Amino acid sequence: MRYAVPFVNLVCFLALAPLYEGLLRRLTARVQSRQGPPIIQPYYDLLKLLGKERLDSAGTWPFRLAPLLAFGSVLAVVAVIPFGGRISALAERMNAVLIIYLLTLAGAAVLFGALAGRNTFGLIGAGREMATMIMVEPILAMTLILGAVKIRSLALTAAVPAAFGASFGFSSALMLVVYLLALQAFVARQPFDIAEAEVELLEGPFIEYSGGNLALFKYAMMLKQMFYAWLFVSVFLPFLRTGVYPLDVVIQLAAMSAVFVLIGLVGATNPRMRIDQAVRYYAILIIAALGAVGLGVGGL
Amino acid sequence: MTTEQILETLRAEFGGAVRGSANPSSGRLLVDIDRSRLAGTSRSLIKAGGRYQVGVGSDDRDRTATFGLIHFFAFDRDGFSVGLRTSAPVDDPAFDSITPDIPAAGWTEREYRDLLGLVFPGHPKPKKLITADDWPDGIFPLRKEVPYNLVPPSTADVAYQLDEAPPGTTCVPVGPFHSTLHEPAHFAVYVDGETIKGCDYRGFMAHRGIEKLCQTQVGYNEIPFIAERICGICGSVHSVAYCQAVEMAAGLEISRRAEFIRVICLELERLHSHLLLIGVAGHLIGYDTVFMHAWRIREQIMWLSEKITGNRKTYGMVIVGGVRRDVTPEIREEILSVLKNLEAEIAGFEKAVVGDSLIHRRTRGVGFVPKDETVLWSLLGPVARGRGVDIDARRDHPYAAYDEIEFAVPVVSDGDVWGTIVVRLAELFESIKIIRQALDKMPAGPILAEAGEALPPFRPGWSMVEAPRGESFHYVLTGEENRPERWRVRAPTYHNLQGIPRMLLDNQFADFPIILGSIDPCFSCTDRVAVVDRRAGRTRIWDKTELDRLSRSRS
Repeated sequence: MRYAVPFVNLVCFLALAPLYEGLLRRLTARVQSRQGPPIIQPYYDLLKLLGKERLDSAGTWPFRLAPLLAFGSVLAVVAVIPFGGRISALAERMNAVLIIYLLTLAGAAVLFGALAGRNTFGLIGAGREMATMIMVEPILAMTLILGAVKIRSLALTAAVPAAFGASFGFSSALMLVVYLLALQAFVARQPFDIAEAEVELLEGPFIEYSGGNLALFKYAMMLKQMFYAWLFVSVFLPFLRTGVYPLDVVIQLAAMSAVFVLIGLVGATNPRMRIDQAVRYYAILIIAALGAVGLGVGGL
Repeated sequence: MTTEQILETLRAEFGGAVRGSANPSSGRLLVDIDRSRLAGTSRSLIKAGGRYQVGVGSDDRDRTATFGLIHFFAFDRDGFSVGLRTSAPVDDPAFDSITPDIPAAGWTEREYRDLLGLVFPGHPKPKKLITADDWPDGIFPLRKEVPYNLVPPSTADVAYQLDEAPPGTTCVPVGPFHSTLHEPAHFAVYVDGETIKGCDYRGFMAHRGIEKLCQTQVGYNEIPFIAERICGICGSVHSVAYCQAVEMAAGLEISRRAEFIRVICLELERLHSHLLLIGVAGHLIGYDTVFMHAWRIREQIMWLSEKITGNRKTYGMVIVGGVRRDVTPEIREEILSVLKNLEAEIAGFEKAVVGDSLIHRRTRGVGFVPKDETVLWSLLGPVARGRGVDIDARRDHPYAAYDEIEFAVPVVSDGDVWGTIVVRLAELFESIKIIRQALDKMPAGPILAEAGEALPPFRPGWSMVEAPRGESFHYVLTGEENRPERWRVRAPTYHNLQGIPRMLLDNQFADFPIILGSIDPCFSCTDRVAVVDRRAGRTRIWDKTELDRLSRSRS
């Protein structure tokens, strides 16, 4: 059974990530009194990009490798998470810090790509991406560490699933608030789509990418935002469980679409922040997240 | 202060350098001065409270064997405008640069350096402004011997030399095509990290030479239709300004009803233009919901304009002597009902924008320019009124029927992008008020005055129209072949763009789009070129009904 989990994870995520993206677009359009694109538009977009020419503008191997690295690391994350409440066979000997490593690697791949591309806008975008990573990854780390503190183990098999099921105290409540406030930053949506900032940086780090390479980056971003939606559902809504694996998968997917509705609504009703404003905001969140872990250590 | 007092002051200070003067119309003064005292007299007018409007250069070699130059100054408090007219002999076409004292004159002087071959000793930045990078030296397109359709051979290896980057900065090229711009222009932004330390501008990439075309090819009555194609947004501003200038030069009185109809056209235009800009401003700070809703609200004005004039844009309403279509009782009812709906929707929209704290955070303190520098750079329209400078051509230099209409001129002292948005929001309500008053007060009567004979030649006329972006200035010198001898257009963006490097200084690069957007830049106005929308490769023919249905079903 547990050997099937990685495959179920990968199939579900790869198949549904563009659908959630489509949901986001559709929802945004509705808020803006537009009709919006068909909900399956992101699939078409990926297909279209795959059929386009891949311009190798930098002509160096880090530039070509970066999209693969980003996509690969996100896939690795997807394969090891306990999606649907079942533990992946790949995760038995892994600990929660690995997820943070892999996600950081995906972010770093974006940086490599931008730096290798050597485009002015890409470089500015890379600078902003780096600042965002430095400030946002700790919040993700705290979320996982809080779970680890509660069950006194960093093992991935234990830290994430139902980490808060046992004791949903003040620490969890505070972390829930912090996570929600950081959610838009995790998924790089408004008001925190600062690194890509279309009107100023023209997609920033991705400016030099085209065709299949761009499709890989886009796909990786979609998977990543689906992961963060899953993490929210899995960590903060552990009671949504029946014990029947297929049913749990469906329940989690449904709950994730609720998270996407939230992401869409917040994204559509906020302008983009400036990086200096955003960094101050993240700093407050980090302090709050630290506080939550402190409370968790204290047993609250 | 009056025009007489200005003349006396100049006479007292400069004596014999003041050669003569003329009062072509009330509130208009032309002073002939000696070329050597141009800079001094300009300074003295600025000191007396004048605001630099623009310079007009002309090739008068066939008539007087000179090159002419007029610098215009507006005295907004006292409602008049003064032109300092001077000339230089053909073999020495040099005028002292007034840019060191009046930075807003920088482009005027560079323009005539390019187009007429005039020389301005003392200009701080004597670089190309208008002609293309590979335009050959020694061909000055506005000189009379140069044909309007001259196409010199192009060369590939010439490029505009951007200003030297300040030490410690890197250059971010915004343009020639960039999603902030919507039109071609090139800003070289020098950033230190993310802080802007300087900016050079290379624009006029689509200069079409409308002035030259209209001075050599068409007649008085065709020009309004070309004028309204100068701008991509303003369909009436330029044609009204041009027609008023011609009417002033010819001493033509037009019917009161036509003047009221012009007011209605101009204010409808302000409504849709401001909504457009506020929407775009939302988009530029990444707030597309503001963008979409502003444009949704705006759409009903476009439909209304179509009902009144037959077109969403390029209305073809205004001609010399009046307007082409009347406002019928049915249209009147239609306008009133749209205004009512509009007022309610804008009120809700305004509340949402003003109440959004994140919009405040993105626009407050951004693009700050103090009041005295705003005056120095001759910034115009909401850009100036958002910075505490109380100018509005509708009130200061009343034209059309504005003298009979009561309206407020919103001015705030914020000095930043937020101020310009607040002013625009307030002006939306004023425009609605103005249109309602115009509909009430409009007398019955003809809409077109017949011009009797040919217009007398070599009479000057100039007019100011408050466009949505600020004062539009048109100067016309009547000519002999049923067309102007000289027609000069100065759109508000011409001045507001010159102030952009000052507004950008020490701001964050992330704020570049919204600062540039806050002047509602209309490059097509400064370039004087029409926007052509060509749908290439279409295999299916859409008829009007289908296109209407399509565009409406999507909004």
